[in-house]
Amino acid sequence: MAEGGSGKSILVIEDEDNIAIALDYLLTREGYRHERMATGAGAVDRVRELHPDLVLLDVMLPEVSGYEICQAVRMEPDLADVKILMMTARGSAMERRKGLAMGADGFVSKPFELAELRAEVCRLLDPEPSTDG
Amino acid sequence: MADRLRWRVALLFAGLAAGLFGALGAGLALAYQRLGAPELAGAFLEAGLLAGFAIAGLVVWAWLVFDTHGARAIEALAANLRAHAQSDLDGELEIGRAQQLGDLGPAAAAVVDRLASTRGALDDAVARETTRLSTEKGRLEAILSDVPVGVLLCSGAHQLVFYNGQAVDLLSSGTAPGLDRNLFDYLRDGPVRHAHERLVDSGEPDAAADLLCATTGEARVLAGRMRLLEAYDVAGAPGYVLTLRDVTADLDAHAKREQLLAEVFDRVRRPAANLQTVVGVMAESADMPHTERLNAAILEEVSTLVHAINELGARYDEGRTDWWPLSQTRSTDLMDGLRARLESAGVVLAIEDPGLILRCDGFELVALLSELCAHVASREGCDDLCLRLIEEDGPGAAFELSWAGPPMPMGDFEEWLAAPLDVGVTGVTGRSVLFNHGTEAWPEPLGDGRSAIRVPIREARRAVRRPPPITRSVVYDFDLLAKQQVGAVADTPLADLTYVVFDSETTGLDTARDEIVQLAAVRVVNCRVVRGEQMDTLVDPGRPIPAGSTQVHGITDQMVQGAPDPADTVARFHRFAAGAVLIAHNAPFDMAFLQRHAAAQGAGFDNPVLDTVLLSAVVFGRQETHSLDALSTRLGITIPEEARHTALGDTIATAQAFLKLLPMLQARGIVTFGDVLAEVRRHGRLLEDLNS
Repeated sequence: MAEGGSGKSILVIEDEDNIAIALDYLLTREGYRHERMATGAGAVDRVRELHPDLVLLDVMLPEVSGYEICQAVRMEPDLADVKILMMTARGSAMERRKGLAMGADGFVSKPFELAELRAEVCRLLDPEPSTDG
Repeated sequence: MADRLRWRVALLFAGLAAGLFGALGAGLALAYQRLGAPELAGAFLEAGLLAGFAIAGLVVWAWLVFDTHGARAIEALAANLRAHAQSDLDGELEIGRAQQLGDLGPAAAAVVDRLASTRGALDDAVARETTRLSTEKGRLEAILSDVPVGVLLCSGAHQLVFYNGQAVDLLSSGTAPGLDRNLFDYLRDGPVRHAHERLVDSGEPDAAADLLCATTGEARVLAGRMRLLEAYDVAGAPGYVLTLRDVTADLDAHAKREQLLAEVFDRVRRPAANLQTVVGVMAESADMPHTERLNAAILEEVSTLVHAINELGARYDEGRTDWWPLSQTRSTDLMDGLRARLESAGVVLAIEDPGLILRCDGFELVALLSELCAHVASREGCDDLCLRLIEEDGPGAAFELSWAGPPMPMGDFEEWLAAPLDVGVTGVTGRSVLFNHGTEAWPEPLGDGRSAIRVPIREARRAVRRPPPITRSVVYDFDLLAKQQVGAVADTPLADLTYVVFDSETTGLDTARDEIVQLAAVRVVNCRVVRGEQMDTLVDPGRPIPAGSTQVHGITDQMVQGAPDPADTVARFHRFAAGAVLIAHNAPFDMAFLQRHAAAQGAGFDNPVLDTVLLSAVVFGRQETHSLDALSTRLGITIPEEARHTALGDTIATAQAFLKLLPMLQARGIVTFGDVLAEVRRHGRLLEDLNS
């Protein structure tokens, strides 16, 4: 897992390489420890092992959908403190509602601006207003 | 004609009197001359005057006796015979005064009796065949009335000959369609005329023309298909069948989607092109340090692109189901269907339904929900199923299928949604049903050991009282296809005119101050009362109804509460009666009320008017009673007691009386409207004629 200065850990589950590269840059620069998975298979086991502070979870994943992973994580009481931020290219209001109903803590629609993603990650990991810009 | 007989009899007796006076005078003059006694002149004159008065008295007495018991009796007998011969009257001949005519009355009664029995036998045979045909006709009408598009049949002159209930819905804007009315009272004429001319010019009997036209009132856009009729070519051009459906909403949704698509290209193309240029410059200048300006340009274009895509995506999502044919469906009906389906599958389900109206495809939704219920019920450890329909903040609602037991694994749930549903159509899955409704579904925990599946519905509203079912019927008269359009009303045969027969009930008899409390009217086209084209409304007179008036018509203040006011009612009647000859029994009374309100609205009635009182006087003579009751009795029309002195009951009786008087008028050579006016004016010296 790449390490950053903040000490918070993020598991990125995203199958698109280009956005994964961008997220890698962003999270490294923001000082988060992070790791990427490119498929949904085995994702819940990995969450259990890593117990990250945040899972950045794409909805449309090969093999196992993001909703399924979200539901499985939320079914485990030991993982209740793990925050889940879902990302989807199908960003309808109904999709957002479904994600939140299934236990996600936040939801961003692709395409998103970095500022929006950064703000959501900060909101979930650092409830106090950030001062580092 | 009857009057002529009485004149002849009077002339005969006058001639007899003149002859007697002449004979008396001549006899006295001869006797006086023979006697040669001038002193007896006074006595002769006195005897002559006395005998003259006696002769005059006897002749007048004989004339009166003959007029009363002869001429008038013959007149009454003739009128009754005509009534039986020309208007299919049943029952015995009323002999009345004809008893004075010796065996003539009983002989006439025997002829009428024979006529009635012959007619009876004929009627029985006709009735049997009519019953068979009307059963078939009823079946065809039922089928046509349920056709889910508007169907019209028009003559070559674009007059309505047939329409179904759906056509009424499509064309009604102020005035409901009516037989023999012009189609262009309801539709803008251009596209219809063009399609008709195209088909006529093509000369192909099986050709059909598609067209898009608009209604004249609310400018609804209708898609139609026209096909020519064969065999009818009276108006110089063949008639046609026109099927119509409302595409206003479809076109609106289509236009919005087109606009959205155009905006997508417009708003994505520009930032994409700009990005391509900026990134291209950066790629070709790899050895140069990226300037702040280039970075700022990229960020700005990306931001524009992201905003455009998100905003356009939200708008697409908003209008995604507008084109799909979802209908307003009562949740109670859905739940009933679901319960029946699940009971047959042995699934027990509690239902909580607040009674909403949902915009959905009820059949597909029931199939999806019953599939989900059956799946949940079949799972181990899932009990106590309950389906709740929950109103949400905003315009939507949600089905919540809950159970005591663990939540549904998302993987299993997605598999169910991907499986085909049992709807008899291939390719329909739970996922496609959700897509068509622009929604999603998901499992979620509820707490207290219960779990649920939630299916939101985007549009829902509180159900109100179910409206009375709309009478769906077809209205037609195919004989109208062969009807010639005649210009001037006066030259038009009575049988070819369109009539509106009407009657009103009022607060009193003062036409200047009293008000209408009920108005009814029926249309008579081609000598038939058109079923389904009638008006029957209570009217709020805006004042208390006197008890004496209520005793006559039975209408109370309570009954007219919430009814339209006289001005609105008269305006509606004005539209209903457009282009028709008005008929009422004692028309001046009813017309006075109508004209008063119409004049106040600046729209008087210029319709020709017929009065059945005058028509009755023409046919039966002025000496008869011409009340509606008397006329109905004379013509064998039965007004049910409960309908008597109701506007509609009296209207129907008046219409039937008019239709029975029509052949009697024709038998007297009164064929056109002009003929009837001339005759009415001859009889109407004491009665008011409204056709100035």
